[in-house]
Amino acid sequence: MTTLDGLRQGTDVGSFPASSGGAAAPATSGLPDSGASALVAREVSAWFGSHKVLERISLGMEQKKVTALIGPSGCGKSTFLRILNRMHELIPGAALSGSVHLDDVDIYDPAQQITATRLKIGMVFQRPNPFPSMTIAQNVLSGLRLSGTKVANPDALVQECLEKAGMWNETRNRLNHAGAALSGGQQQRLCIARALAVRPKVLLMDEPCSALDPISTGVIEETIKELREEVTIVIVTHNMQQAQRVSDSCALFLVDGEGMPGHIVEWGQTEQVFQDPHDPRTADYVHGRFG
Amino acid sequence: MSIVVGQAPNLGPDVAGGHGSTHPDRPSRHRKMPQGMATEAVGSAVASFALVWLVLTLTAAGASAVGFGVFWVMGFLLTYGLLTWRLHGVLLMKERLATVFVWGSSLVALVPLVAIIVYVIVHGFAAVFSGFPHFFFADMSQFSSARSPVTQAGMVAAIVGTVEQVGLATIFSVPIAVLTATYLNESTGTFARVLGTVVDSMTGTPSIIAGLFVYLLWVQPHGTSGKSGLAAAMALTVLMLPFVTRSAQEVLLVVPGSLREAALALGAPQWRVVLRVVLPTARTGMVTAVILGIARVVGETAPLLLATSASSHTNWNPFRGIQSDLPLQIYSLVTQPGVNATKVAWGGAFVLVLVVLTLFTLARIVGSSRPGQRRLPWRRSKAVAA
Repeated sequence: MTTLDGLRQGTDVGSFPASSGGAAAPATSGLPDSGASALVAREVSAWFGSHKVLERISLGMEQKKVTALIGPSGCGKSTFLRILNRMHELIPGAALSGSVHLDDVDIYDPAQQITATRLKIGMVFQRPNPFPSMTIAQNVLSGLRLSGTKVANPDALVQECLEKAGMWNETRNRLNHAGAALSGGQQQRLCIARALAVRPKVLLMDEPCSALDPISTGVIEETIKELREEVTIVIVTHNMQQAQRVSDSCALFLVDGEGMPGHIVEWGQTEQVFQDPHDPRTADYVHGRFG
Repeated sequence: MSIVVGQAPNLGPDVAGGHGSTHPDRPSRHRKMPQGMATEAVGSAVASFALVWLVLTLTAAGASAVGFGVFWVMGFLLTYGLLTWRLHGVLLMKERLATVFVWGSSLVALVPLVAIIVYVIVHGFAAVFSGFPHFFFADMSQFSSARSPVTQAGMVAAIVGTVEQVGLATIFSVPIAVLTATYLNESTGTFARVLGTVVDSMTGTPSIIAGLFVYLLWVQPHGTSGKSGLAAAMALTVLMLPFVTRSAQEVLLVVPGSLREAALALGAPQWRVVLRVVLPTARTGMVTAVILGIARVVGETAPLLLATSASSHTNWNPFRGIQSDLPLQIYSLVTQPGVNATKVAWGGAFVLVLVVLTLFTLARIVGSSRPGQRRLPWRRSKAVAA
């Protein structure tokens, strides 16, 4: 069932739900062939008012893998990411069609609670946004407090999450200090720890390193690599090298022209997309020749 | 920021003379006012003073102090403009004259404010402190306007009334105001917009209308026992409600939308986002808004005239019987015959100004306890992120 628009011949996203390999790109050893997708978007189109920004996006984001969404600014990557945990609908005038399935449950099913969905699908934003009225520890636990979840041993959870975010040693002696007093990179890692505390199944990251220096970026990339063991990660990035470094699979979004909706040009394993792209536009984009 | 380290960039013609520190390690402070500017200004002021004095004396034309001042200012502008034009050219003349106008206007705006405070202190000081602390602990029952000395007067009845009435008004209005502001901020519906307009127009309500409203709704139906501290508090609430709502809404607007998004993305229902993230973030601003609201109504007189009246005895119970308060006590004293009554009224004004001043200072301290955050949160977050 070929569902994606703008496919050029040889692109392997034709079969859907997306498995790791296709006819043109055989499965690489790194990915299990079963490829049970934890999060699957089907035929997702999105509008802001009457302006269509996404054109029938179908994408599978596999369990315990890192999926990178790349593409030029304004091609709808962030919008797509926000659709994945129902943040899109917060914007006035936003609309969408299609469906998103988390382990075969449609998160846009009216029977599904929005808050429960967002608990399962966490999000880290472009700019670090720790809550300024809370301490570091309170920030980590804020997701639980905000969702009214009781936790037996909060101190252990704080330590565990900060360790996972790679900042326990820096913060262990100042857990009661304001979260806003940390450096930008630390704030972003605090936001990751905060997102992890509610034990999400999927973690969405919207250009998490774009406001950070290279060293902080490196630390966060390490964190991402470690987190892959326990959570499915979808990351939007403008940084080709970063996509190559951290992701298992990769989807390129493009727009065909001014005012046109964004769509997926190529999807596949990161190695294949970067080394052996099927679409000439992918080759141009990943080598920085346009976009 | 006028501190520039080492080799400073040229900040403009006026600052050019001030740079080049002999110690490269030490920051050189750039003079705000270039050399010569003060000399020229003072010189022009002296010259124009002499000129106006000379002209007025020679022509034997009498002029009041105000008239003299007007002539002096005009003469100063003329002299100073001419001087800077000859010395520095047209461009700098315009710049300097503009500076003089801006500074002068701010000074003129300050004059009535300072005059009021000084006047109240000068006139009220004697009444307040001549029998200190009698003024703060006695009521007016010993004082009769025609014969008594100032030392027998006391403001405790009025102070108790003001504190209780304003306190009640705060208790009534603040919860409603904060909730309304939250609603206005969180909702984008048509009703929210209509409500916003209503709140805006309510801030312009003439205070006597608030008094009339309470008079017709509460005081008159209750007959002789209608006037009370409670009625006064209700009238003040009507005035305070829209004011605090508006300020609280402004404060909430400044809470970055990214925090709301972060909280929602963590799976929080909207009411918890407001309760645990938005309101705590805006806490200091909210306190400032409330204090400014209190300061706004503490001196209101017109609405109180219809809700209660001045009395010489202390009434601790705001719910029963007439309860005096500072504005009404002052009003009552001024309308009484006798020089001492007026003096005591000034004393009351002194206390009232003191209360307002304290509240404003408190608001400033609370408001600046986390500098920059309330006013420019987006700029701060950028700076932190960088």
